[in-house]
Amino acid sequence: MNDTTFWDQRRSRIRTRKGGWRIGGGISVHGHSLLEDLVGRRSFFEVLYLEVTGKLPDPRLARWIEASFLCLAFPDPRIWCNQIGALAGSVRLTPTVGISAGVMASESTLYGPGSTRPAHDFLVSAQTARLGGATLEAFIASRTRPGGRVRAPGFTRPIAQGDDRVAALAGLAAELGFVNGTYLGLALEIDALLAPHGDAGLNMLGYLAAFLLDHGDMQIADGECLYALAVNAGVHACYAEAASAPAGGFLPLSCADVQYRGAPARPLPDAWPP
Amino acid sequence: MEQSRDTAFPDHVRTRVWEELPDPDNAWLATGARCHGYALDEMARRLSFDDTIFLLLRGELPDAAQRRLMSRFLVSFCNPGPRHAASRAVMNAAASGTRNAALPAIGIALLGGEHLGSAEVEHAAAFIAARCSAEPIDLAAQLVALEPPLTPGDRRVAPGFGTLHGNIDSFCLSLAAPLCELARPEGPLAWSARFAAALAGTGCGWLQPGLAAATALELGFTPRAAGLLYQLAGLPGLLAHALETAGRGITAMPFVPEERYEYVDADTGGSA
Repeated sequence: MNDTTFWDQRRSRIRTRKGGWRIGGGISVHGHSLLEDLVGRRSFFEVLYLEVTGKLPDPRLARWIEASFLCLAFPDPRIWCNQIGALAGSVRLTPTVGISAGVMASESTLYGPGSTRPAHDFLVSAQTARLGGATLEAFIASRTRPGGRVRAPGFTRPIAQGDDRVAALAGLAAELGFVNGTYLGLALEIDALLAPHGDAGLNMLGYLAAFLLDHGDMQIADGECLYALAVNAGVHACYAEAASAPAGGFLPLSCADVQYRGAPARPLPDAWPP
Repeated sequence: MEQSRDTAFPDHVRTRVWEELPDPDNAWLATGARCHGYALDEMARRLSFDDTIFLLLRGELPDAAQRRLMSRFLVSFCNPGPRHAASRAVMNAAASGTRNAALPAIGIALLGGEHLGSAEVEHAAAFIAARCSAEPIDLAAQLVALEPPLTPGDRRVAPGFGTLHGNIDSFCLSLAAPLCELARPEGPLAWSARFAAALAGTGCGWLQPGLAAATALELGFTPRAAGLLYQLAGLPGLLAHALETAGRGITAMPFVPEERYEYVDADTGGSA
């Protein structure tokens, strides 16, 4: 007997808790009227938070989240996702496609919003270990490779050591009246412990994960959703400049700029097709 | 006051491409599929991938001449090459840890531009389809006369026809040879070759999007399909470059060093 009730119930039907549009009856976002309650009264980041989590945030939290987006707005086309935006502008993609391609690239295991969950999970694991009776030193040792390199998402960063953005965001958090909770305290302790290990130290994503664990009032899946487009301003900048320059003019490569290291020239087999 | 237009929407998804055969015991399952009427299992036994792409996009199987030309099209445009923005984008993304699943979409997107991408293929196909009844030499002279004053960068006499890095694209000439061997004397591919030759005296010729467009029209594709076919053809090369770069880390690709990264102050015009 086939029980297809689950699919039958959903056939030609959408059920949503988010809201929606009734023609002539307005747009509802989690029970709030978009045009009457939100437009002109709430910031974009307050509404973005509402759309993702279903809750209107404390405006201070929305302001801090907005600032954290600003911290990812590097208009530098050497940054990988930005370079894709620049290349897209240079070959005359439309803005939405080109910028989306750059944003898509930022879901990386090395940087950007793709690294948010590992940073979150690392802090949660550390806290769980500590609550289980382990010392932070023992936890760090369990994440250290035989060669001495620590695998600590949120505490390492490509290209640079240290992260100026942490102090900027911490300063804003203090100004807004946020105090360090369990996870921010933990992150700072880990930062101090890692200092002797060389190049590891609290980076922005680690700080962001700790801040949102303390103050974000959301699950990690919501956090990943909220930050999905976080690099967009930098990609926008690099796309815009390249798109307004002559086509093909961004960082062009001559043939000599590409090194071939494959098999040498050879003929096809005589008997082909086999 | 907002009012509904009462737009009439269909109750069902409609397709002429694919028929799924429902399982009599569970209509949520299919027991098989047909592509434009051909059973998929039979296609798997007897058709090549080239044949299948042609069937999917045109709705009919290719004849012998189309079969040969389709195969040459797909090989000719299998890789835009490591200097094309699409290849650089996927290599850049792969080296910097972008999730594997996003790499094809990034590559395909960057192969979609109006400059040496599928949008240019589509525009070129529309141009050729609209103008291929004209005498190529006369049309070339007419369009060159209408060219705007030279600006930095490459010339475009028409979409798909112009200069590449200031010259006639010699690589495109070599790509054109095996395709034009199969052209019908009065078809769009032969016409485009005559048009490109007519431009040679002005330092212009056909570019890969123009060649791809002319070949796709010769195969009977619409301009819209021509652009998509070009993107599809280039995907294997893009994936090969992505795979060779993935896992090698960010040092697998160049990163412009500080001394060669110049920030020009927008207010003063000077370097900051």
